[in-house]
Amino acid sequence: MKIVGVLVVLAGWLIPVVGITITQSTSVRLGLTVLGIAVTLFGIFGVLNKVHLKSAIWKA
Amino acid sequence: MKETVAVRERYMTSRVRTTSCCLWAAICLTLLCAFPALGQAQAATSTTTQAAPPPAKAAPTMDEPLDVKAAQPPSTDDLTAKGDPGGTATGTVSDVVAADPKKGLTLADVVNQAGQNRIAINFVWTLVTGFLVMFMQAGFAIVETGLCRAKNANHTMMMNFMVYGFGLFAFWVCGFAIQMGGGGPYSTLGGAYSLTSEHVVNFLGKPWGLFGTHGFFLSGASYDVGVMVLFLFQMVFMDTALTIVTGSCAERWKYVAFAVSSVFMGAITYPLFANWAWGGGWLSQLGVNFTLGHGYCDFAGSGVVHAVGGITALALSMIIGPRIGKYNRNGTPNAMPGHDLLVVLTGCFILAFGWFGFNPGSTLAASGNGALRIGSIAVNTMLAGCTGSFGAILYMWIRYGKPDASMTGNGLLAGLVAITAPSGFVSTVGSAIIGLIAGVLVCVSVEYVERVLKVDDPVGAISVHGTNGLWGVISVGLFADGTSNYGGSWNGVSGSVRGLFYGDASQLVAQLIGVGTLIGVIFTISYVAGWIMDVIIGQRVSAADELEGLDIPEMGALCYPEFALQMQRGVPSGGVAAD
Repeated sequence: MKIVGVLVVLAGWLIPVVGITITQSTSVRLGLTVLGIAVTLFGIFGVLNKVHLKSAIWKA
Repeated sequence: MKETVAVRERYMTSRVRTTSCCLWAAICLTLLCAFPALGQAQAATSTTTQAAPPPAKAAPTMDEPLDVKAAQPPSTDDLTAKGDPGGTATGTVSDVVAADPKKGLTLADVVNQAGQNRIAINFVWTLVTGFLVMFMQAGFAIVETGLCRAKNANHTMMMNFMVYGFGLFAFWVCGFAIQMGGGGPYSTLGGAYSLTSEHVVNFLGKPWGLFGTHGFFLSGASYDVGVMVLFLFQMVFMDTALTIVTGSCAERWKYVAFAVSSVFMGAITYPLFANWAWGGGWLSQLGVNFTLGHGYCDFAGSGVVHAVGGITALALSMIIGPRIGKYNRNGTPNAMPGHDLLVVLTGCFILAFGWFGFNPGSTLAASGNGALRIGSIAVNTMLAGCTGSFGAILYMWIRYGKPDASMTGNGLLAGLVAITAPSGFVSTVGSAIIGLIAGVLVCVSVEYVERVLKVDDPVGAISVHGTNGLWGVISVGLFADGTSNYGGSWNGVSGSVRGLFYGDASQLVAQLIGVGTLIGVIFTISYVAGWIMDVIIGQRVSAADELEGLDIPEMGALCYPEFALQMQRGVPSGGVAAD
């Protein structure tokens, strides 16, 4: 799952990077950038952090 | 036929005579008419000659000795006898250095002196502000140590002490070259012309600068006075980012893992993002290549320094896990107060003082290129720190009924972190708003990280530097007012930086792409590197060592030996958690 989390985080970054090359519209670029940030945050907090919390020291 | 020829000769003879007469008549007529005009012209010429001023003296050539008597330099005898108590006779034409004393002062000497004086002002400014930033290490050290428990004080202090050395070494070996090796020339520092080699790849039809390739070990053509000044200033910035991580991972981080992690961060993670933002890399070129405002703008490093440090802190804190006793079995957090609020707040003041180097120094100049905006930048820095502490103290007072000391200190730092990126682009009103939001944001973020994410951060570094570093980056895209002018352009785009509130939405997009890169790429690099280190050398100390306190197991000496003696006698001591 850690690898999946890392891939989701990177995918979130790629969304705006690719997005700015395919459109000139500022509003579309803005939307894609916000979407990419949301995906990245999901990868960090929703996937990776949950993996670590599963084996957290205070649950032992 | 003969008759015809004779007639023709007579005709020609009479024709020649007639022509000669006409020619002579024309010459005489011309002379008669021309004389008066010639006379007038001569009169006019003589009049002009009389009315014209004497011809101007030719400007001195660059290598011609100047006549400096008019400058009235003070006599050496006067200065010897009376001194210069008023300061009016010190610093005169006598102090301009002539390249050839035998020849005397030339215009070339004066011009060269003016140029060198400008660069000298910029050198001194950049160095002194760099020294201020270096002193922030002391502030970070005591803030973090004060917020940790007494049994870990030596360990925490030693991490802050040695992060300077580990980071500096890594930055000298390769970090600086990766960061700044392709960003030159730096005109405010005289050029630093050796730093002009950036590794660029073409992707999706555009050039993407990834890292610099000149300046390793500061050798070769990088053995240059301008490069040295730039290195010192950038090095202390890098070290600030590194020391953020020591706070969030304190009280359970293996010292050897800290050492390796710091070297890696100083050599790779930090320089990469700093290159993309400051070294001519792809983020800085978003304006040139994709018409996104002026590209990613981060004046003094909310993103480059603080967010990189805060996000790395998040990645490593997740890997290392919370301290023993921080969370109960049901996941509710326990307060683990620090052992010395006195040094915490003193450290916050030291950091606020150092921030006057951090932000105004980032002009890399005090002369030319719009660098006089340093006054505005310094006031912005002050104000945001002030309103940051307001925001935090009000939030805590309203929510918990008491003004919390450590969170008020964190509010001050949060305001300073947030204003770091926009300090060179915003007005005082903008900076006050940015700081106020940062002060509230840090409190909310600390609660979220602790209670929802359940990531243990003993000093609040993730919230102070990570969350508010990102807020600072975004705030440029909102509040930049278009009045700054650093040489007429920024990141290769002419004109001044404007945010959304001043008419340029595309600048906000550029800033958000920077945010996405910080949490997408920098987090990933830090997480993967930390994960590998965890597998190879282990990131976390043993439970027994953690319970004992890391001073003896990790460092071999207690920070407060007498304090430990009191504990043995059963004297209650604040700040030592009951595990």
